[in-house]
Amino acid sequence: MKTLKIILNGKETTAKPDQTILEVATENGVFIPTLCHSTALEPAAMCRLCMVELTEGRRSKFVTSCNYPLRQDAEIKTDTEVIRHGRKMIIELLMARCPDSEELKKLAGEYSANITRFAPLNDDCVVCGLCARVCEKVGGKTLTLSGRGVHIKVNTAFGEASPYCIGCGACVQICPVNAIKIEDIESERVITIHGREAARIKLNHCDVCDKYYGPVIDLTKVMERLGEKTIPPPNLNLCPGCARQKLGKRIADRYYDVY
Amino acid sequence: MAAIEVKYQEPEIDFTLIDKIIRDEYGGNKENLIMMMQAIQKQYRYLPYSALKYLSDFIGIPFTKIYEIATFYASFCLEPKGKHIVAICTGTACHLKGGGQMVEHLCQRMGIQPGKTTPDMKLTIETVNCLGACAVAPVVVIDEKYNPEADLSLLNDFIDRLKAE
Amino acid sequence: MTESINTIPFSRMFKPKELEGYRKNLLSKNDPDSPKILICCGPGCQPSGSIEVAEEIKKAVIEAGWNGKVIPQVKMTGCHGLCSKGPLVTIEPEGIFYQKVKPKDVPEIVEKTLLNGELIKRLEYKNPATKQTHSHTKDIPFYGRQTRLVLKNIGHIDPFDINDAIMRGAYSGLAKALSEMMPGQIINEIKASGLRGRGGAGFSTGVKWESCASYPGTRYIICNADEGDPGAFMDRALLEGDPHSVLEGMALAALAIGSERGYLYVRLEYPLAVKTLTQGIRQAEELGLLGKNIMGTGFNFELSISRGAGAFVCGESSALMSSLEGKVGRPRPKYIRSVEKGFQDSPSNLNNVETYANIADIILNGGKWYKDFGTEESAGTKVFSLTGNIYNIGLVEVPMGVSLREMVYEIGGGIPKKREFKAVQTGGPSGGCIPKQFLDIPVAFGSLAKVGSIMGSGGMIVLDEDSCMVEIARYFTHFLVEESCGQCTPCREGLIRMLEILNRITKGEGQDGDIDTLEELGHFMTDFSLCGLGTSAGNPVLSTIKYFREEYEVHIQNKKCPAGVCKPLFNYSIDANECTGCGKCRLRCPVNAITGEKKKPHTMDRDLCIKCQECYKNCDFRAIMII
Repeated sequence: MKTLKIILNGKETTAKPDQTILEVATENGVFIPTLCHSTALEPAAMCRLCMVELTEGRRSKFVTSCNYPLRQDAEIKTDTEVIRHGRKMIIELLMARCPDSEELKKLAGEYSANITRFAPLNDDCVVCGLCARVCEKVGGKTLTLSGRGVHIKVNTAFGEASPYCIGCGACVQICPVNAIKIEDIESERVITIHGREAARIKLNHCDVCDKYYGPVIDLTKVMERLGEKTIPPPNLNLCPGCARQKLGKRIADRYYDVY
Repeated sequence: MAAIEVKYQEPEIDFTLIDKIIRDEYGGNKENLIMMMQAIQKQYRYLPYSALKYLSDFIGIPFTKIYEIATFYASFCLEPKGKHIVAICTGTACHLKGGGQMVEHLCQRMGIQPGKTTPDMKLTIETVNCLGACAVAPVVVIDEKYNPEADLSLLNDFIDRLKAE
Repeated sequence: MTESINTIPFSRMFKPKELEGYRKNLLSKNDPDSPKILICCGPGCQPSGSIEVAEEIKKAVIEAGWNGKVIPQVKMTGCHGLCSKGPLVTIEPEGIFYQKVKPKDVPEIVEKTLLNGELIKRLEYKNPATKQTHSHTKDIPFYGRQTRLVLKNIGHIDPFDINDAIMRGAYSGLAKALSEMMPGQIINEIKASGLRGRGGAGFSTGVKWESCASYPGTRYIICNADEGDPGAFMDRALLEGDPHSVLEGMALAALAIGSERGYLYVRLEYPLAVKTLTQGIRQAEELGLLGKNIMGTGFNFELSISRGAGAFVCGESSALMSSLEGKVGRPRPKYIRSVEKGFQDSPSNLNNVETYANIADIILNGGKWYKDFGTEESAGTKVFSLTGNIYNIGLVEVPMGVSLREMVYEIGGGIPKKREFKAVQTGGPSGGCIPKQFLDIPVAFGSLAKVGSIMGSGGMIVLDEDSCMVEIARYFTHFLVEESCGQCTPCREGLIRMLEILNRITKGEGQDGDIDTLEELGHFMTDFSLCGLGTSAGNPVLSTIKYFREEYEVHIQNKKCPAGVCKPLFNYSIDANECTGCGKCRLRCPVNAITGEKKKPHTMDRDLCIKCQECYKNCDFRAIMII
C-alpha cells in the first residue's frame, strides 16, 4: 500500500492512507489533548481541543486531528500559537461552565487558561457526548444529548430514571471529567447524572456469599447484540469471586487426586 | 425503576390511529420518523408520552432517540398547548419593527414566558424565526390567522377578548 | 390559492418532441394576450387579505355584463414582487398595476378599468422620489431595474396548474436535454454558465455535479428548501409561485448526474409550498414529465417531499441529510464531502431552490447566454428579498454586480420617513452589516465577502438611523444561541458568552475590555467551530464591531444608546419647538405619559414612559427626541 509523506512538527514521518492525524501523532509520540475522543468509538470532533494546523498542497487550514483522514502528503503542526490560543479559549470556556472540575484545572494549567472572564455556570458536564455515544454502542441506549444549542445536555428520555439502563457503567468509566456517579446500594445499582437519578438497576444476589453483585440483565438481548445465536446455560446465582472459587474447585476435583 | 411520572393529564390516545399513521401513511419506515411524529403532533397538538412510547416500540427506535429528536426540533412540543395559540414572528424584519416588543408585552400581560402556556390552558405564546412575510412586518399569527403590520393594540384587544371568554 | 380547473385534459407524453405539440395545442386554446386579472397571493399579499380580494373579483366578473367583450380570466398567482404594497392586482394584457386593493375596491375596478378602460388613480403606485404615480408595471422603477430570469413566470401563472407553466416553456429544457444531450454535455453547459450555488457559499454548481457524478453508488438529488435565514423569503415565493422551475431543474440534475431519486426538504413554516409542490409533482407525473419513464425515454426520476421540523441548522448540508434520514439534524463531523458520501452514505448532490430554478434556462439557451448576465466571477442574476426600513419591500431579481446604492435607492425607493440610511445586513445570521461607505460596491460573491459579509441566500435587510447596531448584533447572536445545534464547544460556549456580554452592554452594564473579548471569541469561533454555521456565527458581532465600534463604545463608556433602542440607555423628550400639538402621540401612548392641549406643544412624563417607541415612530414632525 502507498505510504504518505508527513511532516509532523518539522519531523519527517509516514502515514497510511485514511489514517487520522491523531493516530499518526500518537504513533510518533506527539501528544494532542482531547476530551471527546475514545479509540473505542467513532470520532465526534465535538470538543475541538485536538485541532491542528494542516497544510496539504498549497492550502493551509485548521482541522480536528481525531477524524481528519490523511489522503495525501501533508505538513502538520500541532502546537502553533493560534492552536494554543484556541485550546486556551476552549478550556477557559469549559472552566467557566464547570469551575470545580479537577481534570479541567489540570489542563488549564498547561494552557494558562486559569482566568475567569465569564460568569460561572456551576455545571459538572463538558458536553463531550462520550457517555451518550458509548451507551448507544455498548449500553442500553439510555443516554442521549437532548435539546439543542444552550439547552443541550446529557439526558435520559424525559429525564426519567431509565428502564433501559443495563448498569454496565461504561458511561461512568468513559467520562473525562468524572461527572457520572455509580453506586451499589444494597440490592440496587444507582447511576447519577447532574445530581439526578438516571437509572436504578436491580443487582444479582450471590447464593454462596450472600452478597449483591453485578446487575440483573436480559442475557438474550446481550447475546443478540453480540451476534451469538446460542444462549449460554443460565449461570448459577454466583458472584464473580464465588464463581471463580467454584470453578477452581471443579478443576481441582477433576485433575488432582485427593491425598 | 422509579415510577414514571406523567406531568400532564394525557388525552385518550387512539392507538389504532397511531398504527395507521405509522404503517399506512409512512410504511413503518424508520426514515420517516420525523414525519410520523409530525402527524402525531397534528392529531394531539403535542407529543403525548405514551404515543411516543408506542412509536418507539413499534418501529424499533430507542425511546431515548425519539426523545432526542423531539427536543432537538423546535416544532415538536412535549407539553399540551393552550386553547389559543399566538405566534409572534421574531424574524429580522419583524424584530426591527417591534416584534420583540410585542413578545415582551404579551408575555408580561399574561405572566408567562415565550413558548409556555397559561396555567388555565387558555393561551400558548410562541415565537417564530421568520414566517417569510417580511413585507408586512411585524406579523402576529393568532390561531393561524395572519395579522399584518400588527401593533400593541391588536394584542390588547386579543387579551380583552380572551379575558371575556 | 385554490386548485384551478383544467380545461384541457392531461395526456401522457411518450416522446420529448411531443411536449412542443402539447404546448402549441394549449396556446391555441388560451391566447396569451387575452384579458386576465392576476391577483398576487404571495407571502406578503396573502396576509394582507388578497384571497378575499380574489374571491370578490371572481364574483364580480361573473356578475358583470360584458356585452360581447371577452370575459377576463381571473388567476391567483404567486408573488408579484412589491410585497409592501399588497394586495397587488395586475390587469393583462395592458399591464395595469394596482396596489393595496381592498375588496371594496373591486366593483370600481370591474366597472371602470375592465369595462371602460379607465384607470383608478387612487390605486396606482406612487413614486416616493418624484411623487408621480405610475399606472403600469413597466413604468415603476422597482420593476424597470430588474432582470427577471428565475422569477419570469412568477405572478403570471397559476402555480397549481402545470399547463400554465408549460405554456410559458416549463419542461422544454428537460425535453431538449432528453432528446439531444448526453449527461456530460449538461454538466459542461452548467459549468460554462458560471452558475454558483445560490444557497450561500457560492460553490460552482457544474463542478459539484461533475464531482458527484464521478462517485459510484446510488446517487441522490436533494433540494434545500429549508430557507432559514430570518428576513429571507425568496425560496418561499419561488416554490409557491413557480414550483415547476425547481422540479425541472432537479430532473435535469438527476439526468446529468445519473440519479433516479430526489428529495425536497421544505421548511416547516411553508405549508403552501408543500401544497404547490405536491400538486406540481402529481401533475408532472401524470403528463410523463417526472416519475417513471419520463417522456418515454426510459429515464426515471422520482421525487418526494420531506418537511423540516424547525431547526435553522438543518440548512447546513450534512445536517439536512441527517434530518432527511429521520435523525437529529446535527452537522456531521466528517471531512468527506456529501457528493461522495451524503444521504444514506451515498453520493448526494444538494443545491438550493434558486440554483435549481436557474438550470432549465441555461440548458435551453446555453451556458454562454447565462454567463453574459452578471459579472466575471459571479454570473447570472440573483433574487433578493429586500426588507427592513425601506420604501419598496419585496422580491427583486437583479443581475449580479448592481451596486448596493441602486438596490437601496432605485429599486428600494430609499428610506421612508426621512430617516438616514445606516447599513445593509446581508447573508442572514451568518452574514454581516455593510455600512454607508460601501454603498457603491457591486453585489457579487467576492465583493460582499471582501467587506466582511456574505451573499448568503439573498436576504437583504436595510437598516436606518433608528437601528442600534449593538442591538442588531445581540439579536442575531440570540438567534444563533437558540439555533446552534450545541454539539461543538466553540459555537455553543462561545455564543453563550457573546450573548452574555452583549446583553450586559445593551443594559448599560458593559465593561472595559468587552469589545476585545467579543472580537477574541469571534475569531476563535471562526477558526475552531465544526460546521459552516459555527465558523460564521461570529460574523454579526465582528462586522458590527468593525464598522460601528464607536457605537459599542458609547454604550459601554457613556451608557447611551444613540439610536434609542436599548431601553435602559435613553429617554424620550418632546422638542417644544417642533411639536405642533397634533395629539397623535398622546392618542397612541399606551400608558398616558404624554399630555398637552391641542395645537400646543405636548409634554412627556418620563416616569410613566415605557419607551415603546409608539410616539417616536409616529410623530410626523420629528418632535420626539432621544436624549
